[in-house]
Amino acid sequence: MLRVESLKKSFDRFLAVDGATLEVAAGEVVAVIGPNGAGKTTLFNLITGQLAPTSGAIWFKEENIAGLPPHRVCRRGISRSYQVVNIFHRLTVFENVQVAVLSHRHKTFNILKPAKLMAVGETRQILDSVGLLDKAEMTSGALSHGDQKVLEIGIALGNRPELLILDEPTAGMSPEETAVTLRLMKRLSGELGLTILFCEHDMGMVFSIANQIMVMQHGGTIIQGPPDDVRNNQLVREAYLGGADECSV
Amino acid sequence: MFKALFGVKTAIVGMILLALLLLLPQFLPRFYVYLIALIFAIALLATSLNMVLGYGGMYQFHHAVFYGVGAYAFALFAVKSGLPLWIGYLIAPFCSAALGLVMGLITVRLNQLYFGMLQISLGSLVWAITYRWYSFTGGDDGIHGIPLPDLVGSSTGAYYFNLIVVVTCFVLMYMIVNSPFGRIFQGIRDNPERCRAVGVNVQKQQLAGQTIAAFFAGVAGTLFVTVEGSVFPDLMFWTLSLEILIMCLLGGWFIFLGPALGAAIIISLRTFVGIYTEYWTLILGIVLMLLIFFLPEGVLSLFLKKADPSGKREG
Amino acid sequence: MLIPVCPSYVVVDSPSLGKTKSDPLGQDSLFSARYGRIMTLAANITLAALVQQVLVGLSRTTILFIVASGLSLVLGVLRIPNVAHGSLYMTGAFVTYTVATLFGQSTLGFWLALIVAPLVVALLSFLVERGLFCHLYEREHMMLLLFTFAFSLVIGDMVKLIWGSDYRSLAAPLFLQGSFSISGFPFPRYNLFLLIIGPLVAAGLWFLTNKTKIGKIARAAAVDREMVGAIGINVSWVFAAVFVIGCYLAGLGGALVAPTQNITQGMDHAIIIEAFLIVIIGGLGNIWGALLGALIFGLTDSIGILIWPQFAIVFPYVAVVIVLLFRPKGLLKSTW
Repeated sequence: MLRVESLKKSFDRFLAVDGATLEVAAGEVVAVIGPNGAGKTTLFNLITGQLAPTSGAIWFKEENIAGLPPHRVCRRGISRSYQVVNIFHRLTVFENVQVAVLSHRHKTFNILKPAKLMAVGETRQILDSVGLLDKAEMTSGALSHGDQKVLEIGIALGNRPELLILDEPTAGMSPEETAVTLRLMKRLSGELGLTILFCEHDMGMVFSIANQIMVMQHGGTIIQGPPDDVRNNQLVREAYLGGADECSV
Repeated sequence: MFKALFGVKTAIVGMILLALLLLLPQFLPRFYVYLIALIFAIALLATSLNMVLGYGGMYQFHHAVFYGVGAYAFALFAVKSGLPLWIGYLIAPFCSAALGLVMGLITVRLNQLYFGMLQISLGSLVWAITYRWYSFTGGDDGIHGIPLPDLVGSSTGAYYFNLIVVVTCFVLMYMIVNSPFGRIFQGIRDNPERCRAVGVNVQKQQLAGQTIAAFFAGVAGTLFVTVEGSVFPDLMFWTLSLEILIMCLLGGWFIFLGPALGAAIIISLRTFVGIYTEYWTLILGIVLMLLIFFLPEGVLSLFLKKADPSGKREG
Repeated sequence: MLIPVCPSYVVVDSPSLGKTKSDPLGQDSLFSARYGRIMTLAANITLAALVQQVLVGLSRTTILFIVASGLSLVLGVLRIPNVAHGSLYMTGAFVTYTVATLFGQSTLGFWLALIVAPLVVALLSFLVERGLFCHLYEREHMMLLLFTFAFSLVIGDMVKLIWGSDYRSLAAPLFLQGSFSISGFPFPRYNLFLLIIGPLVAAGLWFLTNKTKIGKIARAAAVDREMVGAIGINVSWVFAAVFVIGCYLAGLGGALVAPTQNITQGMDHAIIIEAFLIVIIGGLGNIWGALLGALIFGLTDSIGILIWPQFAIVFPYVAVVIVLLFRPKGLLKSTW
């Protein structure tokens, strides 16, 4: 579904992403791991169009989307959440998700119908599925950090994506919240058949959900494969797991 | 649909207010009728600015240009065309909207501060041309004695005309800010990056917003001519833009009617302070400083918070 | 000036209207024909006229550069377009007038004024920054901006309160009066003086930003203010210093421009818009961008006067729009 080929991005002289490759098949849950500064977030920003690559190609459903602006990428079926909470903090929880749903339905230039009456069912259904329905009328800026991170995913779902990209979905969450999010991701993958690409520092979580893991270092790809292959790969152990005989899995 | 837009309480308060405004000219001396009719025009101007500023988060620092162009378009039409005057009321707002579109095409590609600064600059260009083009715009003298339709020739006539137009425009603008377009616009205000990520073409949306706001500012311009019967370049001078910005801040820019209240306060204040001193600008500056330090969310939000301590929708 | 919506007060309150009524030249001083009014007579564009006009444009560039670099400095570090910048420039011009007049408009008075006036402006901005402005740094960006609006409104009327609504004029010191002749066209000595001052100020700014500690800190703060805070530098004082230096430059611009035009209410509005445009085409926060922008602005403006005097003001704008169509972020790298 998604194929990234020798992607490069340089800022001035610094190469943030240097020849990364990635393959995501439909229905898979793919994790990108790697030490801080390996270029994971930059890679995601390149895929979703926040940044334009210096060179390389990003194939999504047999179309090169490299360099497209974010809203075009989104229209093609890729939604994302952010590492740092990135929501509409003055709007209510309901309105946050509704913005995405309205955008998905091409209603952004409808100026006369009350928004209150539109896309209500679908928005509430998404809120229900991420477990925020009871907080629908709260101002999103007043939510707890964990809820805001979940809302991030809710907004991303508003676009009915085929590929969902999550940038550290559990960063800063308590263990309980992390467990809830993990269950949510499993459900999205299992019940809705969503393809998910995410990056995460919590190795327990990565190995418990991903069917494919891609390891990044210095902006490049070391290996991509099933969890067991990655766990036993010598290069990965040296580069990332620091040579420890067994990581905490 | 009506019920979804306005709650029952809002509708009742609105009706009472409207009835009051309809009756007022029967009791008030002529000067006040004139003053309130003027406030209607400025309130519309401030509310149209707030559409892009408070709801859209765009640093529109030179909104008065659209107001001035609307006023001039109507005045020039009335003086030079010889066609029925009512047509001018229809054409003028579209002239403003066209200018908003053209300026927007240049400015919306830039980030917030660039946008604001370039908006000021381009607006000043329009002002400068108006100021210097004696043969067409009358230069710094402006145009006086603009013919008006008989119906609005008297101050009471102008009052009622302005009232009806303003109420219509307010309803329209209220519908717009509560429509999907308005919802997305608020999303852009809060987080343009996220808006792009959910598939919104932010620049196009902002361009549309600027054009719509310019349209309503143009309507406000024609209302000004209806009250005053004259136009002059100061209508599109930059300081007026600042003044309406202050109106928005004073009334509260996260509340639909905040800027209108701000306009009423500032215009009344100016009229009465102006009797005692010519240093109105100084007073305005001090008022603004006090607002920034003590009331950054506006007068109206203060009252609303008192009335509704839960503050569900606070800025 | 804030009376446009209510015409019954316009005549009383509007400096621009009052000025044009009492002073037909004042209107021009609002615009571009500041130095080259002689040129409006020369409808036929000869090479000598062109050279002379370019020189006039270059001396105008000096003033524009000094004012715009101050604006750019503040923009780069504080991220605020200081709207009061033009008002400080106007204040600089009025103080120059007063100081120079105190000494009977003598040569000594002129030099003294040139030193004192920018310092007065800097002191004023220092007091306002430490007394009021610095308490807002934690607040929303818009509030900072609006504060500079308020500041400009207050200064504008204070100037009117102190100096009245009449325009003033100041003669250049004797040795800078008169003009050279360039192929029959006169070129004022004072403009030559400006042409010398311009590079000096640019060199000074280069020294300040590249060779002094405060300049290095300020440049670092422009790029990454958290880092500067993290290494134990009081960011608030860096902001104060940059703000005051920026305002000093506005005052210096006002002082230098004083002998070349009528000193009037309203000169603040004209310059602030020009400075905005210059900073925009140059790249926000980039001082060399301000120089480049000032050059473009000054030259298109002076050549515009040659071609179409009535609408000379349009030419710099056209240049700006063309620049922005190709380089929406300005010609040189913006600091942010």
